[in-house]
Amino acid sequence: MPNSLFSIFITFLKIGAFTIGGGYAMIPLIRREVVEKHHWINDETFMDGLAAAQSCPGPIAINFSVYIGMHLKGFGGMLVAVLGTVLPSFVAIVIIAALFTQYAQLALVQKAFHALKPAVVALIAAPLLQMTRSSQIKPAYLWVPVLVMILVAFLNISPIWIILTTIIFSILQSFWQKNRNK
Amino acid sequence: MLLSLFLTFCKIGLFSFGGGYAVLAMIQQEVVNINAWMTASEFADIVAISQMTPGPIAINAATFVGYRQGGIPGSLVCTLGVIFPSIVLMLAITFTYIKLTKLPWFQNIFQKLRWVTLGLIAAAMLLIGKTAFTDLFSVIIFVAALFVTWRWKTNPIYLMLGAAVIGLIFG
Repeated sequence: MPNSLFSIFITFLKIGAFTIGGGYAMIPLIRREVVEKHHWINDETFMDGLAAAQSCPGPIAINFSVYIGMHLKGFGGMLVAVLGTVLPSFVAIVIIAALFTQYAQLALVQKAFHALKPAVVALIAAPLLQMTRSSQIKPAYLWVPVLVMILVAFLNISPIWIILTTIIFSILQSFWQKNRNK
Repeated sequence: MLLSLFLTFCKIGLFSFGGGYAVLAMIQQEVVNINAWMTASEFADIVAISQMTPGPIAINAATFVGYRQGGIPGSLVCTLGVIFPSIVLMLAITFTYIKLTKLPWFQNIFQKLRWVTLGLIAAAMLLIGKTAFTDLFSVIIFVAALFVTWRWKTNPIYLMLGAAVIGLIFG
């Protein structure tokens, strides 16, 4: 069963359970599961979905689950992917909210996170290099991702503006080239 | 009560762009400033817990606020509310994407967006890095994790479990 509903559910359950510190931390997990391990989609489809998930309002993890679920198995695939992503957080938070509100101050939790956070940074760094390769970006255009990184990380510009600008620019560019070729 | 929780979190889901951290600002606006369901310091606790618990931050925060306001039904309603707009909009985007993917101008958009996405991922890495690197220990963990994942392509789940255990022992 290459991509049965059950295996999609289990895959996204894993992704939901191990996404720590926000949606971006799940990028390496999802890529590992759906691109490298199961070969359900290729890097291009993966990155297109990421761009779409970022330009759509709402949590990136949910947006991306909808996209991948739809690609794998239509509406049913989408439902089990979203359910899988949400379920671990939901259960964990209900337990925490019901039992211990001082969770964040727990010394053990802080100790674990002391090592988890740098590990997550490394986990994002490694696939970033592979994705740079498979995007087949020409060295002359490498300034684009670097500029985007500076705008978002240091100048706090919202990704949505960058994505909208890129879309408008790409459309104008296509029309300009079409007119010139006539 | 449940209906107003659902509608509020629908609104949060609909108007929050740019991932979990942006969603948190939006939730604070609605939950603390507009509806006064909790105080700013209670909300700060929720933010900390949401970041330290597995799963998307926005989902965690929505579940938590919902539980405080209306127990299990409240948390269900808030979680559904925050993901509902995402599902509808992303379905629309995915359908359009599958239909339009043969057109050159559409391909051009996504080719350019792929470059932008690389930058966005790099930015996310830097933003997490800002809070991650506090001492030599965290730098060592980073280098070790990078080496292990690069050399052996270790499953990220095992790597994170390993890091958590090392943190508990030596952190």
